[in-house]
Amino acid sequence: MTWLVWRQHRIQLLIGAAILAVFAVLLLVTGLQMASQWHSALVACTATHSCGDQGGLFLGNRAVGFLVIMTLGAPVLAGLFWGAPLVAAELETGTSQFAWMQSITRRRWLAIKAGWMLLAAAVWGGVISALVTWWSGPNNALHLDAFNPGRFDIMGLVPVAYALFAMALGIAAGTLLRRTLPALAITLAGFIAVRAVIALWLRPHYMSAVTVFYKVTAGYTPRGSYWQLAQGILGPDGRAISTDTVGPVIAGVPATYLPASCAPPNAGAGPIAPSCARALARFHGFVTYQPAGRYWTFQGIETGIFVALAAILLTVTAVVLLRRDA
Amino acid sequence: MTPVIQTRGLAKRYRRVRALSDCTITVPEGRISALIGPNGAGKTTLLRLLAGLARPTAGQMAVLGGTPRQDPAFLAGIGYLAQEIPLYKRFTAEDHIGIGAHLNPRWDAASARDRLRSLSIPLDRAVGRLSGGQRAQVALTLTLAKRPRLLLLDEPVAALDPLARRNFLATLAAAVADGGLTVVLSSHLLADLERVADHLILLAASRVQLCGDIDALLAEHHVLVGPRKDTTAIEKTRTVVQAVRTARQTTLLVRGNAPVIDPDWESDEVGLEEMVLGYMGQDTPPPIAHLTTVGEDQ
Amino acid sequence: MISFRVDGRSVVPPYLQIVQQVRQALRMGLLDAGDRLPAVREVVAATAVNPNTVLKAYRDLEREGLIEARPGHGTFVLKRPPGPPPGTHSRLGRSLARWVRQAREAGLDDESIESLLRVTLHAAAEEEEIA
Repeated sequence: MTWLVWRQHRIQLLIGAAILAVFAVLLLVTGLQMASQWHSALVACTATHSCGDQGGLFLGNRAVGFLVIMTLGAPVLAGLFWGAPLVAAELETGTSQFAWMQSITRRRWLAIKAGWMLLAAAVWGGVISALVTWWSGPNNALHLDAFNPGRFDIMGLVPVAYALFAMALGIAAGTLLRRTLPALAITLAGFIAVRAVIALWLRPHYMSAVTVFYKVTAGYTPRGSYWQLAQGILGPDGRAISTDTVGPVIAGVPATYLPASCAPPNAGAGPIAPSCARALARFHGFVTYQPAGRYWTFQGIETGIFVALAAILLTVTAVVLLRRDA
Repeated sequence: MTPVIQTRGLAKRYRRVRALSDCTITVPEGRISALIGPNGAGKTTLLRLLAGLARPTAGQMAVLGGTPRQDPAFLAGIGYLAQEIPLYKRFTAEDHIGIGAHLNPRWDAASARDRLRSLSIPLDRAVGRLSGGQRAQVALTLTLAKRPRLLLLDEPVAALDPLARRNFLATLAAAVADGGLTVVLSSHLLADLERVADHLILLAASRVQLCGDIDALLAEHHVLVGPRKDTTAIEKTRTVVQAVRTARQTTLLVRGNAPVIDPDWESDEVGLEEMVLGYMGQDTPPPIAHLTTVGEDQ
Repeated sequence: MISFRVDGRSVVPPYLQIVQQVRQALRMGLLDAGDRLPAVREVVAATAVNPNTVLKAYRDLEREGLIEARPGHGTFVLKRPPGPPPGTHSRLGRSLARWVRQAREAGLDDESIESLLRVTLHAAAEEEEIA
């Protein structure tokens, strides 16, 4: 049966491998360049003690950078090209019937076929993720945004889980709908919907976010690649104030909330007037965030969720396929 | 000897449609059984149930001694050929032989290649590019190479020209002659079936009208021709399968062996086609106390 | 080796056609004692008839004492059916052909010839009974 799976899918798998190879070459070449660029910049800034001020540095090739962002969609490709037709195409043409009359039980047929192709999907997701994670090293160190949506999704473990989920979704859709084209549509729509819902509404709550209040005069930035969920200023009454104004702002607080002693030209030049300092002391800034240390925990939780979803979909697929008339 | 197929009250229903009702048949070993019936009578459904591709909604069946199930030993004993002859279009006949070798415990690749060569079918051409007749032969060859004990064929010769049909049936009959094989074959072509079949299952209106060895069934049926008159006396001693009355004449297809005493009636032997057509016009089986299946002890 | 032809449209059942063809071949001298008959499988592969049909024909011929099945070797002809030697058959066949030509020239069609033959056979049978 494994031999048959290879014979049936070898063109698909070879195309996938070719794409991975090209992608790997692009990333390896540009990634090495970026790494050395970053290394030189680090050496230079360490000498001048100006390493905190590298925000303006741009690393890497724009085109490849764009390609890396696009790997957001890579997992679903496995579901579309490999998953949706896996069972559906055979049901449509009737070749599943041929296979099932060859002394192989449906369970074994599905298990081996889906098993190998799920592995292929995991490899697809994993290789792309490994390359992107390595390539993004300098950028992550520079911008500290690895935990942010969009970057979280293309590095680490989660792309493997997304690919498994897309594959399982494609297989399930194909099995239930029995036709490849509708299965493609459902796989694409379902993948986007589930990913969006989880990333936007579930992920922020995997663990209770940390909220830190700080004096507006002191300022506060969490360490490392934290994921900021909310920030703002609380007024004297404890309620958030709107910082969305046009006029001047002192320590983050709009001048309209502050006494005249805070107004320029006093502000910014020399010590703050005591009355202004007292006024500012009644305002507190807050930032709600997920600490950088939780990055891998979050990766693990999201991976677990998508793997569990994939397992559910595959169970449904097996139950339907085994119980339904051929 | 245990029959290869035995069913009782088998039924299959799809949502609101009753595809098969109360199907009770027996097929002894070594028979070539013709499954006959009008379109929609349930032939395909019956074959799929026997092959284990569909589950019945009622009734019991024993195929090769057990219920059809997802079990390699059972699957290895059954060969099923669907009407659409599903093969992998991009693969060659040789590829299919390779697939069979990998998936089946018993596989006779050598005889499969010999058979295809003797039919001048190229082994290295993609199956999708073969003619309908050649594809049917490839499919049958693959099914036979599996060395099944029971072969279930759903209208396999429908799309073949007469020569291809002849070859197909000859191959089939020769495989049965080799021993250890029973065949159930559905077809519309009575002429072919008359030659090659020795057992008959007749379905009409999703029910079994006849099931038994053809010779015995034919011996039980007669055509009575006589003037147009009352037939109640006849009906008491025999089952009237079909009655055709014109202004002056009555023609009855009857089942039963009681002698005809009334000199008005002329009794004739009946051929397979006449008998089959007589039953196919029915909506329900003719009213008798019991319908015995014939020839099961042969 | 004899090759059989089974006509599906004939009123004669297939097994009987095989029996008759064997008998005819024996009468005509095409088959002789000791010749091997084709195996059931070969007949089936050539004519696409049910194996039991061939088995039935061979069993009938065996019962008549014309053939004999030797396990492991095949089925062989034992003897010719009682009747005139093959030469007689060919001779009579030739005179019959001449008569048929005459009948045709006289204007008889196949059906008339057949019915004339039947009537003559019938009359001859009655004569033999009386005698």
